[in-house]
Amino acid sequence: MTGPSRITQGLLTDPAKPVRFSFDGRSLEGLAGDTLASALLANGRRIVGRSFKYHRPRGVVTADKGEPCALVDVIGESGREPNRLATAVQLSEGLRAVSQNRWPTLELDLLAVNDWLGRFLPAGFYYKTFMAPGWAWERLYEPLIRRAAGLGRLESRAQGHAPPAEIVHDHADVLVVGAGSAGLTAALLLGSAGLRVLVAEQDVVLGGGTLLDTRWAPWRADACARLASLPSVRCLPATTVLGAYGHGTFGALETLAAHERARFHGMRERLRVIRVARVLLACGAPERLIAFAGNDVPGVMLAGAAHAYLRRYGVALGQRPVFFLNNDEAYGSAMALAQAGIRASAIIDARPQALAATRAREAGLEVLSGALMTEVLGRRSVRGVRVRLPDGSSRTLAADSVAVSGGHSPATALACQLGAPLTWVEAITAFTAEAPAAAGRTAGAARGVFGAAAAARDAELAARALAAELGRPAPEPAAWLPWPPDPAASPVSAVWEVPGSGKAFVDLQNDVTTADVRLACREGYEHVEHMKRYTTCGMATDQGRSGGLVASAVLAAARGVPLREVGQSRPRPFAEPVAFAALAGGEVGGHYKPRRRLALHDWHEQAGATFVSTGLWLRPLVYAAQSGWEPVLAEARAVRRAVGITDVSTLGKIDVQGPDAARFLDFVYANTFSTLAVGRARYGIMLREDGMLFDDGTTSRLAPGHFLITTTTANSAAVLEHLEFHLQAVRPELDVVLTDVCDQWAQFAVAGPRAREVVASLVGDLELSNEAFPFMAVAAANIGGVAGRVFRISFSGELAYELAVPARAALPVWQAILEAGKPHGIRPYGLDALNTLRIEKGHVTTAELNGNTSATDLGFERMLKKSGDFIGRTLGARPGIVSPERLQLVGVRPVDRAQRLRNGTQLVTPAARSASLGYVTSSTPSTELEGWVGLALLAGGRQRIGSRLLGVSPLHDETTELEIVSPHMLDPENLRVRA
Amino acid sequence: MSGPDPRPPSPGAGIRLAPVTADILELAAFRNRSADLERLAAARGVALPACGHLTRRPARLTLSVRPGRWLLLTAPATEGASAWEGAIPGCGAAVELSAALAATVLSGPAVREMLIRSCRLDLAAEAFPEAHAAATIMVQVPVILAALEGAMLLLTPATMARHVHEWLVTTSRPFGLSLAPQASLADFSGDNSA
Repeated sequence: MTGPSRITQGLLTDPAKPVRFSFDGRSLEGLAGDTLASALLANGRRIVGRSFKYHRPRGVVTADKGEPCALVDVIGESGREPNRLATAVQLSEGLRAVSQNRWPTLELDLLAVNDWLGRFLPAGFYYKTFMAPGWAWERLYEPLIRRAAGLGRLESRAQGHAPPAEIVHDHADVLVVGAGSAGLTAALLLGSAGLRVLVAEQDVVLGGGTLLDTRWAPWRADACARLASLPSVRCLPATTVLGAYGHGTFGALETLAAHERARFHGMRERLRVIRVARVLLACGAPERLIAFAGNDVPGVMLAGAAHAYLRRYGVALGQRPVFFLNNDEAYGSAMALAQAGIRASAIIDARPQALAATRAREAGLEVLSGALMTEVLGRRSVRGVRVRLPDGSSRTLAADSVAVSGGHSPATALACQLGAPLTWVEAITAFTAEAPAAAGRTAGAARGVFGAAAAARDAELAARALAAELGRPAPEPAAWLPWPPDPAASPVSAVWEVPGSGKAFVDLQNDVTTADVRLACREGYEHVEHMKRYTTCGMATDQGRSGGLVASAVLAAARGVPLREVGQSRPRPFAEPVAFAALAGGEVGGHYKPRRRLALHDWHEQAGATFVSTGLWLRPLVYAAQSGWEPVLAEARAVRRAVGITDVSTLGKIDVQGPDAARFLDFVYANTFSTLAVGRARYGIMLREDGMLFDDGTTSRLAPGHFLITTTTANSAAVLEHLEFHLQAVRPELDVVLTDVCDQWAQFAVAGPRAREVVASLVGDLELSNEAFPFMAVAAANIGGVAGRVFRISFSGELAYELAVPARAALPVWQAILEAGKPHGIRPYGLDALNTLRIEKGHVTTAELNGNTSATDLGFERMLKKSGDFIGRTLGARPGIVSPERLQLVGVRPVDRAQRLRNGTQLVTPAARSASLGYVTSSTPSTELEGWVGLALLAGGRQRIGSRLLGVSPLHDETTELEIVSPHMLDPENLRVRA
Repeated sequence: MSGPDPRPPSPGAGIRLAPVTADILELAAFRNRSADLERLAAARGVALPACGHLTRRPARLTLSVRPGRWLLLTAPATEGASAWEGAIPGCGAAVELSAALAATVLSGPAVREMLIRSCRLDLAAEAFPEAHAAATIMVQVPVILAALEGAMLLLTPATMARHVHEWLVTTSRPFGLSLAPQASLADFSGDNSA
């Protein structure tokens, strides 16, 4: 045995395998199979945490994932993680757990002063207390509250550790949620019918409530063995279904067992996205608490949890427990403890009589029928309880623990998320929710059918109905073991609250008392959803599982209406705490997002390129390791004065073919393409439906019905989607096919005064003279032995050719160009140099095509065709869009050529320095002009060319006098490109 | 991964990854010309499968994941787009995609179990049997999956192939991973016309 409270052999623990762990730095010992909570209880640890608001000492209340109090930080290889449920953390060798929300220690928490100040800290005190003075909110109140709020501490995981979680997609015919008698029965029937079945059970073992009843052990073993033999059934223990998302989609979180964890290199969790035709909800009915003074003292536990700790782990909640209950099911806990040698001081049954009470008396237990527990004595642990007897007298009982049961509330969350309404069932004093038939069925305790055998019978009917709906009628079960009969039971009686002095909690996790609920009602928060938000009742990790209905009952009493009229707050995913790591799955680190790499990525890397992320692409920014403008300008000057080469393969490329290809392009572009001759390219602009500029690029006509569109890198995917949408939905009569060929073609721009000589040496028979191959000409060509295409287009403002070859041949062609250019001083240039070149020339990119500019703003108004429809035509003609007062593209240069420009610099007049007239979109030191040059969007910009303004950059505390010039600052006559 | 993967490979090859070099051509039918295109393709010995399916012939795979569109995978330098352009006049477009798509064949007993770590499709053998093909998203990348005899063909955009490959390697490791230098299309094409 390990620990003073472990009194017998548990179903799940192995006495031959002690496990060392620590809690708050103290070394302790548990057993393999323990949870952290069971091991702490076995070691006699009563206080395991401090409450959220009042910092009251708290102990373990449940034995499952509905635990409201036993939240701890767990420190492991992957870091420190807060808010782990001690009831769900499987004990492992060397596990380190630390209590949270206390200072300086768990035993001596000075912040417990809040409890004494409780009368000044009612629900909603934030809203009332921190109203004034107004200045104090941001400076004083909020910092203080933020510091006090939150539980535990998160520390990032160690670098290089495997992802802590993964995401898996599952499909099945039926998802069975819960593996108690109902879930197992349903899974057996559905699996026998040949249906693909997934069984998700939040417990680490299958069996649910049958685990607590030794009579069911043979049946459970038989059922599990049969399930294991059915190939179409998969059982997922330690898997909680977190939410129902409609259309048969469910989310579930699996905690990996030790062997799986080892196989997956330390991975802890698996988020499952489950898609099914139907669901069978057999998720049981959690036990609920009763609100009475001191119902949160360490040592007060739900009766079912006390039963579970005994059966599963051999741990007793105390030596002299008192039971306070209102239903027959909870007697099982007292009887089991008695059989193990722990006799209850008394069983306080709120009902005047009950069959279970008779059976308990026959077993020698004292039952106080018709009595109520009014108060728990003790603060750090239970010392006794005060009882009000039926005759009105009081009695004090010595006790060291309390097991409480206020009845059982069917788990309705998933059914509600599927759209089921709540139905009040008086016989069980709880709501039920039936899954809509189209989604599946609810069965067993989840629909208020209590008793393991009755639940199994109910599930059998539900499973047969589902199997028939899915066209696979379930066969008669072959020689199943019979279900042990349920004992006769008396009905539960509603007991929600026992009036008394002292705090009676309805939400242990958020420190919400019955008084808080009544206060919310008095202050007008009468709806259960308003009460929840005002008091925080039912929020956080346990989602009010043990006290939610009790809070509704207190609210109903305060409002003077039946509980059925109040209802319960709407349950939303997730059903249990989910770490962000589980939601991220394996898409972390290098897998966080895709990286698009150029065919020549490795070459660029070896050439010393510094890369920049543009969208998903990794593009060479500059071929130098050091930062600064010098290497950039050196690359750009090579283009201006000799020749350079850059990789422009990232540009979007769309192949357009079909009898109506030209008509389609006329529709999607604002300028005309049907008049474009074969073998020629044209610059085009696309508008959005609202008339604003969408994208630009050159389009080439390769054959009468065959075009090649190029788009900006950033809009590549968006343009293809835009074209597909308009082709399929807006102009379906046009016979055109579109194919994304971006990755097919590697494309290189060879630019500079010596570009013709370099390209001519590679393209063999293609004549490159101005007459034979003028500006905007296109031709198929053999490029260094590779079949490709040559385009005479220029973004740099220099004589330039773009050479396109299949990406597989990118490297030999690139190297051939470099070799051919060597005598001419060719050098590769990156995105920064390309940017410098285009700014000098006045060419726009996404800095100017920013979604807020129109064709008129950027000086493209003459490209808009005068006749024929095109996307954006109507809305692009709105007066506000074409107004000359809008921000228009201009060039800017510092008057003092020694001063620099910055992107984002605001343009103002000396007389009104706070009234921005526009801003600098792009800037660079110039290769050919003196000093810096830039492009800007300026209100009424074209009318201001020739004037001067101030450029103000408050962030840098800089003011620069600027000259407003034409955006075409270099070679406005286009002599270079046509050279 | 951003750094070297610290995890050791698992013993036993549950998954074998092999890149496949193939020429890839897309045939796209013009409006109402699918039947004509299928007839002309048949005359060239190419059976165009129904959407969502794949046909295997020696040294050739043909699959369709979009109505009126087919991908033809052949051994390198077998035939190019130009050979088809002349053969399907007015019926559709032939677009060369050999360099646009990277092909990988995944084989081994754990392939489907590994792929569901990112693939939303129902990959159970009864739901996605041999000769089925589909377009989907995996690791945020548009991909095409096709079920071969005891293997899966994965087509990814060439520029994102390294990203997908790194994910496949990382995810396959717990199942036992074997990396093959290269596979031939002939190893997987065979003939499923029977």
